[in-house]
Amino acid sequence: MGKTRKRWLLLAVAVLAVAAAAGTAYGGGKASKAGKILVDGTTGTVVNIDPANEYDYDSFTVDLNIFQGLYGFPKGAKLQPVLATGCSHSPNLKTWTCKLRHGVKFSNGDPMTSADVKYSFDRVQKIKGDQGIYTLLSDLKSTSTSGAYTVVFHLIHPFSVWPYILSTNAGYVVDKNTFPADKILANTDTAHMIGTGPYVLTKFTPSQQAVFTPNKNYWGAAPKNGGLIINYFSKSSTMKLALQQGSLDMAFQTFTPTELAAMGKQKSLVVHSGHGVVIRYLVFNVKRPPFNNINVRRAIAYLMPRQTIASRVYHGTVEPLYSMVPQGLPSAIPAYKTLYGASPNLAKAKAAMKAAKVKTPLKITIWWTPSHYGDASADEYAEIQRALNASGLFKVTLKSAEWAQYSGALGKQYGAFQLGWFPDYPDADDYTVSFYQTNSFFSNGYSSKQMTSLIAKERGAKTSALRYSYLKKMQLLGAKDLPTIPYWQGNMIAVSRSNVKGIDSTLDAAYYMRFWLISK
Amino acid sequence: MTGTSLRTYLLTRLALVVPMVWILLTLVFLLLRVAPGNPIEAALGGHVPPSVVKPIEHRLGFDKPLLTQYGDYLWNIVRGNFGTTITDNRPLSQIIKQNGAATLELTFFAMLIAIVVGVLIGLVAGRYRDTPVDIGGRLFGIVVYATPPFFLGLMAQLVFGVWLGWLPTSDQASPLTQALLQTHTNIYFVDAIWDGNWGALWDIVKHLILPAMTLGLITAGVFLRLTRINVIRTLRDDYIEAARARGIVERRVVFVHAFKNALVPVITVVGLNLAILLGGAVLTEETFNWPGIGHELVLYLQNRDYTAVQGIMIVFALVVVGVSVIVDFINAFVDPRIRY
Repeated sequence: MGKTRKRWLLLAVAVLAVAAAAGTAYGGGKASKAGKILVDGTTGTVVNIDPANEYDYDSFTVDLNIFQGLYGFPKGAKLQPVLATGCSHSPNLKTWTCKLRHGVKFSNGDPMTSADVKYSFDRVQKIKGDQGIYTLLSDLKSTSTSGAYTVVFHLIHPFSVWPYILSTNAGYVVDKNTFPADKILANTDTAHMIGTGPYVLTKFTPSQQAVFTPNKNYWGAAPKNGGLIINYFSKSSTMKLALQQGSLDMAFQTFTPTELAAMGKQKSLVVHSGHGVVIRYLVFNVKRPPFNNINVRRAIAYLMPRQTIASRVYHGTVEPLYSMVPQGLPSAIPAYKTLYGASPNLAKAKAAMKAAKVKTPLKITIWWTPSHYGDASADEYAEIQRALNASGLFKVTLKSAEWAQYSGALGKQYGAFQLGWFPDYPDADDYTVSFYQTNSFFSNGYSSKQMTSLIAKERGAKTSALRYSYLKKMQLLGAKDLPTIPYWQGNMIAVSRSNVKGIDSTLDAAYYMRFWLISK
Repeated sequence: MTGTSLRTYLLTRLALVVPMVWILLTLVFLLLRVAPGNPIEAALGGHVPPSVVKPIEHRLGFDKPLLTQYGDYLWNIVRGNFGTTITDNRPLSQIIKQNGAATLELTFFAMLIAIVVGVLIGLVAGRYRDTPVDIGGRLFGIVVYATPPFFLGLMAQLVFGVWLGWLPTSDQASPLTQALLQTHTNIYFVDAIWDGNWGALWDIVKHLILPAMTLGLITAGVFLRLTRINVIRTLRDDYIEAARARGIVERRVVFVHAFKNALVPVITVVGLNLAILLGGAVLTEETFNWPGIGHELVLYLQNRDYTAVQGIMIVFALVVVGVSVIVDFINAFVDPRIRY
């Protein structure tokens, strides 16, 4: 008995000693070999990596490393040709001819030709994935090729912003030899997830990790790091701890304002901030009382506490927004500031309510959703409630519903409700047409002949200057009609360890996290 | 006891599994449908017009009558077709294999900690009844049992991760280990041993300590109190008195005669506590970003992914029912008094 016990004890000591020794060796060895691998953390969730069914920002951030479109935002917020050398359009803006870049190869060595481009567009339209990305190609009648390096897009309507559509993942070019024509590729099928981007996806473990290695066949400049790992977290607090402990080199998307403020004070961490394109806004169902009364909407516009929300709720991580188009994008004008002032104006709100001929304080209900737009939404709407109630003109009841319920109700059931927007493409068109067209996605009943005419003119404009002039008019008309009230635009924020370099070069209004520009 | 009666009991017990699982599946199906919203609205709402949402809902059968959906659901389960998740097209079998393995790893070590801590302290507390050791042990048992797992987890993260910096606070392994480890069984602990990758094993063990302790201590409270009571009761039994009267040394009486018998009811409870452990695993996995099946369940619930939630619940149900049946079988064999 005694001997057996001693034997076990010796064995346990030996195992521990070997494990400790191996642990040291492993840690040291791997650190030198994988020192340049960048480890990022995110609270996002990847839904679909296959570009034919990818329509959310977290999946897009993965795709951005693997795939490319004919156009894109490789540097800064200016649209540039990527896999194309340029596109020209017919006089009626319904036919777009794009010349492809020569010598581009997919990561598996296959050459990229016009056949791959046609295949990719046909595939998105054929599959009609349930995430709805195909809707971005709703104006595309057909795609044809002319030789190995020319692609022609035939559109249903004149479409001045077609190159922007080519920059979305609906226009990402995939290898026709590895992607099935009529079905979505599984996220874990990394062997077939072949694109032309700077990285190759080598391993994907759902809700845990995406591992990328540099693409040896990449036609552009090689990534500044030796590879990329994106680690997925369910809670930002856990991600913050991992960043503080050094398990992560950086984290992008999404910390709470309080966490950001705390991390900003730590010497080992750097909070990076740049122009953002995420916006928050209040939507009115313009057919539903009392919001069918334009003067009631005007009174709320006069009272919107933008500065208080930005400073008190978001600790300066967002900026007050006075147009549906965020500042930083061409043609953005502060239309709401022009019409309703930079800060709340009680006198004008009172005048608007008098003109509305309603009994004050008017009882209204505003809906918001607790988790989809971050934990700060509760405080955000508490501030709005406080500001409206303090005026004595309104008595606000706040109601909330989880996103799965909320997103199905919107204008169909709610009179006034919170929404946020992340663009399909960073252009003013996406911030105006989406909200102001008749039968918009939030079903708020807004319809204006003048606006519809402006949208048609903007989409048919042959020069940028002309297009921007229409976009400015649309912003002003939207502010006058008030189907929505924008109140903040978020900055693009990432937090890194102090030894990480290059993050600031990717924080711009395109909102692309270009990991290949980051090193450590 | 006759062979026939035991066989009848076992068959009856097995037959009862079917209605038990059916009731549970029906409840899950109904609860998901009662909750407003569906996966397509959750994914596309606030982005594309209803005219796009409706055809997709139709294609996936969300607009079918509830009874038809229920019939399809049961028929698929009968055929063993758990399907593919709606939100990210992931086969259920992959979730069970991958995330189930992570949960298995966590619950195994949590159970180990629960047994070692709970039983040891319970034995000592029972043996030294009403002494400061006993009072301390009882207090410890009550505190760990009453503390919610997420709170215990947060405290552990704060003390051992932030203040002392000894242990990692999240994930199954460090990012590099996860990226480089070859997966054979999806149980990282086993995979590292399989490859003889001791460095990875050490990293995995470090990541296991806090979540396994958090989850294990909750169940340890139950074991502690049960063991203590049984030890006290056993030490009063006649055969213990008889052993003492025969002149057997006290140490042998306590360790060999009393403790062994006191542990028999604990074994039954260990099996039954698996359900509690799985419930706690959901919260522990969330706290430690542990990629287990509970972690996935929360994610899919938020997106109203019917297929995923139903599939995961089937797994939970089968595991709990399976273990309770096994425990019943063991009891039936060991204790002849148990019969229907």
